[in-house]
Amino acid sequence: MLRWGRPLPHPFIEQNYFKAVITMPIEREDKAVELIGITKYFPGTVANYKVNLTVKKGEVLALLGENGAGKSTLMKILYGMYLPDEGEIWIDGKKVDIRSPQDALSLGIGMIHQHFTLVPVHTVVENVLLSAFNTPKGKASVSEVAKEIEEIGKKYGLEVDPYAYVNQLTVGMQQRVEILKALYAGARILIMDEPTAVLTPQNTKKLFEFVRDFRKAGNSVVFITHKLNEVMEIADRIVVMRNGMVTGELSRQEASENELARMMVGKELEEITVTNPSEGNLSGEVVLSVRDLKVKSARGHMAVDQLSLDIRAGEIFGIAGVSGNGQEELAEALCGLRSVEGGEVLLEGRNIVGRKVVEIINEGVGYIPADRHREGLVLDMNIEENLILRKFESEKFSAKGVLLQENIHQYAQKAIGEYAIKAPSSKVKVRGLSGGNQQKVVVAREMDIATTVLVAVQPTRGLDLGAIDYVHRTLLRARSEGKAILLISTELSEVLALSDRIGVIYRGRIVKVFNRQDAKVDEIGLAMMGVSNDETQ
Amino acid sequence: MKRSKKIALSLFPVYSVFLGLALSGILMLLLDANPFVVYKKMLIFVFRDAYNVADIFAKATPLILTGLAFGFAFRASLFNIGAQGQFYMGCLASVACSLFMGNLPALVLLPLCVVVSGAAGGLWGSLVGYAKARFNANEFLISMMSTYVAIAIMNYLIRGPLIESKGEYPQTDVITQSAWIPQIIPHTRLHWGFVLAVVVAALAYFILWKTTLGFRIRAVGMNRDSARYAGINEKRIFVEVFFISGAFAGLAGFMEVNGIQHMLVQGFNPYLGAEGIGIAILGNAHPLGIIFAAILFGALKVGGNLVVQTSSIPSSIIGIMEGLVMISVIFSYFLKERILVRMEKKMLQAEERKEGPRK
Amino acid sequence: MIVEGILKGAVMMSTPLLIGALAEVFVERTGVMNIAIEGIFLIGAWAGFVGAYLTKSIGIGLVSAVLAGFVVGAVYGYFTVYLKQHQIVTGTAFNILSVGLTLYLYRVFFGVPLIPLTVEPLSSMKIPLLSKIPLLGEALFNQNILTYMAFILVVLGYWILYHTRLGLVVRSTGANPEAVDAAGINVERVRYGAVLFSSAMNGLAGAFYSLGFLGLFTENIIGGRGWIAFAICFLGNWNPLGVLVGALVFGLADAVAVSIQTSAFKLIPNEFVIALPYILTIVATIARKHFNVPAYLGTPYVKERR
Repeated sequence: MLRWGRPLPHPFIEQNYFKAVITMPIEREDKAVELIGITKYFPGTVANYKVNLTVKKGEVLALLGENGAGKSTLMKILYGMYLPDEGEIWIDGKKVDIRSPQDALSLGIGMIHQHFTLVPVHTVVENVLLSAFNTPKGKASVSEVAKEIEEIGKKYGLEVDPYAYVNQLTVGMQQRVEILKALYAGARILIMDEPTAVLTPQNTKKLFEFVRDFRKAGNSVVFITHKLNEVMEIADRIVVMRNGMVTGELSRQEASENELARMMVGKELEEITVTNPSEGNLSGEVVLSVRDLKVKSARGHMAVDQLSLDIRAGEIFGIAGVSGNGQEELAEALCGLRSVEGGEVLLEGRNIVGRKVVEIINEGVGYIPADRHREGLVLDMNIEENLILRKFESEKFSAKGVLLQENIHQYAQKAIGEYAIKAPSSKVKVRGLSGGNQQKVVVAREMDIATTVLVAVQPTRGLDLGAIDYVHRTLLRARSEGKAILLISTELSEVLALSDRIGVIYRGRIVKVFNRQDAKVDEIGLAMMGVSNDETQ
Repeated sequence: MKRSKKIALSLFPVYSVFLGLALSGILMLLLDANPFVVYKKMLIFVFRDAYNVADIFAKATPLILTGLAFGFAFRASLFNIGAQGQFYMGCLASVACSLFMGNLPALVLLPLCVVVSGAAGGLWGSLVGYAKARFNANEFLISMMSTYVAIAIMNYLIRGPLIESKGEYPQTDVITQSAWIPQIIPHTRLHWGFVLAVVVAALAYFILWKTTLGFRIRAVGMNRDSARYAGINEKRIFVEVFFISGAFAGLAGFMEVNGIQHMLVQGFNPYLGAEGIGIAILGNAHPLGIIFAAILFGALKVGGNLVVQTSSIPSSIIGIMEGLVMISVIFSYFLKERILVRMEKKMLQAEERKEGPRK
Repeated sequence: MIVEGILKGAVMMSTPLLIGALAEVFVERTGVMNIAIEGIFLIGAWAGFVGAYLTKSIGIGLVSAVLAGFVVGAVYGYFTVYLKQHQIVTGTAFNILSVGLTLYLYRVFFGVPLIPLTVEPLSSMKIPLLSKIPLLGEALFNQNILTYMAFILVVLGYWILYHTRLGLVVRSTGANPEAVDAAGINVERVRYGAVLFSSAMNGLAGAFYSLGFLGLFTENIIGGRGWIAFAICFLGNWNPLGVLVGALVFGLADAVAVSIQTSAFKLIPNEFVIALPYILTIVATIARKHFNVPAYLGTPYVKERR
């Protein structure tokens, strides 16, 4: 039976949340892990706020939430990688102090990260030995470890050749090594952070078999994920987090996918006042046409898999989806930064696949990248230099190889004024600006470049509310100037607020396209999680 | 940041120089010399007559160029350790040009030697750049080894086709008067090459900060990913940077051969390349800083020589001073960064307290 | 006879290269380049000579060389591992400093002698029976103690690196310091220890030139051979066995060069024979597409904030 509690007071978030509390209390002996009042601050943000969480023995707990909800942070605190600012941790009914992963391991807690901590050039045995170095089992001989790896592998269906080199294993097998590392150290509570993000469906099935076997042996698993269908398949209990707090806690029987989607994505979405008053031009000419695009990710798998979409002039096309479904590879391919394996990209009828970055810039395609520090800016250059970073060869800014300082300065002054960039002068190094102002520099530059198409990926990541609002208004202005805008964001609220049409990306394809008026949050949320209405439940 | 603090921080290299000299002074005690006396003597001697003061700049001339060689490449995050070899190639080209074209008038011969020495050093250096661009080879190792190959070539040529008419020693003939760089101050060793070196430093500054090429170079050096995002071809930059860097070092060859030695002797100035690295570090890889650092090292050499002549301290003290100054500068970089980070942290915390955290 | 002489010379000349390169392998496997190698060779040569001359005991000389290398390594390691300063810049500073420092301190100890000071260099230790083997006997079993040490070091190094827990940590630190950190091992301490060890060994290798070969100390005694050891580490693919091959090849080139120079055989100009090792290095650096460079070589390790 569910009971709705009072909304928690939260100093920084204005919306209200519902908190579901299970009325049946959990017996003390059944508690493997209990987190009480965990709070963690990072500069400029609250990662976890007064989080209570319990993990029973012999259960699989799914920790569900969007990117940035605070799930990983919470588990990293449990695993000793972060120190909580407030709160307590109890293991097996005893209060403990976990200050390092070694402490966690000695208490029987293991963690499988999204990014493996493996040494690729070493064998499986060597990796296991290394991870167990500071434990008593680290003194074993290579053959002893190999034997035990084989035994554990057989017991749980995680067979791996102990003497294989990790860099020759598939990602799925590498994950097995990570799990074996934890099991070898004697973990009884296994934390898995988005483990299926890198797995094929078949490997996912095998992983779930392992999880069930592991649970049968009386151990616990905390399964961090954002994929609803998996939660329904594997979890016993589900805890939903959003913005650093727990927003819901249900058992599997009580949960339905729709309910979970709503808890994850937030009820307030239905109350969003659409920030763009005028209608987008849904009848303009198609400017950008993507046909059956195939792009490989850095890791080698096909991140964009026969993706097609059309964007019209004077329209904002928003792509909603959980990160890791091919968005960044799509954006990079459109802007010439990543090679394309197949398909076409037609810009005003011309195929721009395979063209150099400079050429694509000259075709008027602007690109606001997801990571402005790594790609969008040169932090140690000043504002002027960053503003011309992608167009310094143009006649406006240089003649015969010499930079036209005066022109550049004027241009920078104009941009600073137009975009209200807060800086003492245009000669200040961009490194010293706030995140919001840095992004304004990127936006100013790309708005100028984009005469036909503007691709914006996560344009408001890490920005404060004022900067977010400014960027949004800029995108709307671009739309009114007749540009075709592709907005890629994992913030569903942002996509919903700005887009005229919304395409949901899942596993490298656009699985569904909505017009803004027809968009229903539930439907979009489900599509994002890979559940389509065509599937039988 | 407060103006006074900024000035204090930017003077860190100066403190390091003093620290380095102080440490060297401690070593002087080992030879029963009083460092204060020694340094006082050095200052007096240096400024006593025009010859010594002029000599400082004469010695600084090639150092400016080898310093530019390392510093310019450093701006692209490339390591040109082969300046010594590129210098020797420049020497060879310049001396060959002077010997074989000796009958040309100075107005033609000197610029010709400039071009030839720069080209020789540049081409030799660009080989390294090409190896990096094409084969992704480690430029550190290759540029270092290229120096030894250059030495071999130089030794061969000096003992062979370029050897002096007498055929006695491994050196060339003296070059004709028209190939001598005229002196700025007569009866000193200071020649117009110093002015040329300063002009070249200004040129390096101009290239780096006022041209599109320099823009590309700096972008590649600061953030390769953003440079690629900006459409910059980094492989081309490798070759271009190593050519320019090598040309600078090659030009130093012209300076030494046509300005000071007026011939080419085997194995002369063997530390010019390494000292160039030190000068680039001291000058923070900036042309202006390099000029000052080169003058400083020049002063150390001249003063040091005078000290050697008038006291029992051996000439190796000069190398010690240079090395200790360099190490002090490196340490000062660490301190400066530490202080800056701490200041930035304080600023961020103050800002947060004002605005409150963002989400 | 000539061939035997060349082989013996080859093995002898390869000794310091082998020791230096092995040391460099060890430290680069943890992710730190010991750029001061040339300078430490020189300091080792100097310290070894000074120690041997003053105490009339080569043994003490060798020990002083090791100690001198250790001390320099302590400072270099502090700058690069803990202060996280640039390895190439720091190493170059040390190299420049050691030239002046060794000369200066030589003067401090000995003044300006009229006749160059000498010590009796290490004598060869003939191993009975084995040294009588034709062709290889003289080369392999009639060498000085440092050479025998070097061979032992190769075997020891290989075993330690690939068959002990210490070796596992060393190899992992350069390949993925995060994994090492996750195992609760202090990355900086591993790297610092490696720097200390390699610098001590480099000192020993340098002493070979003054104590094991020439019996004196001059300014140019090392002449860039520290860099060749550095290159051999690279070319040997960071593997003791590969390094052994590389060192022998270069030692052979050195010995052949010497014999060509002293003989009347003058087809190739002298200078190019001398330059052979360096040309070899360039060619090998370019040709080798598949280096097993330790992934994090040269990058200082900064722990994520907690």
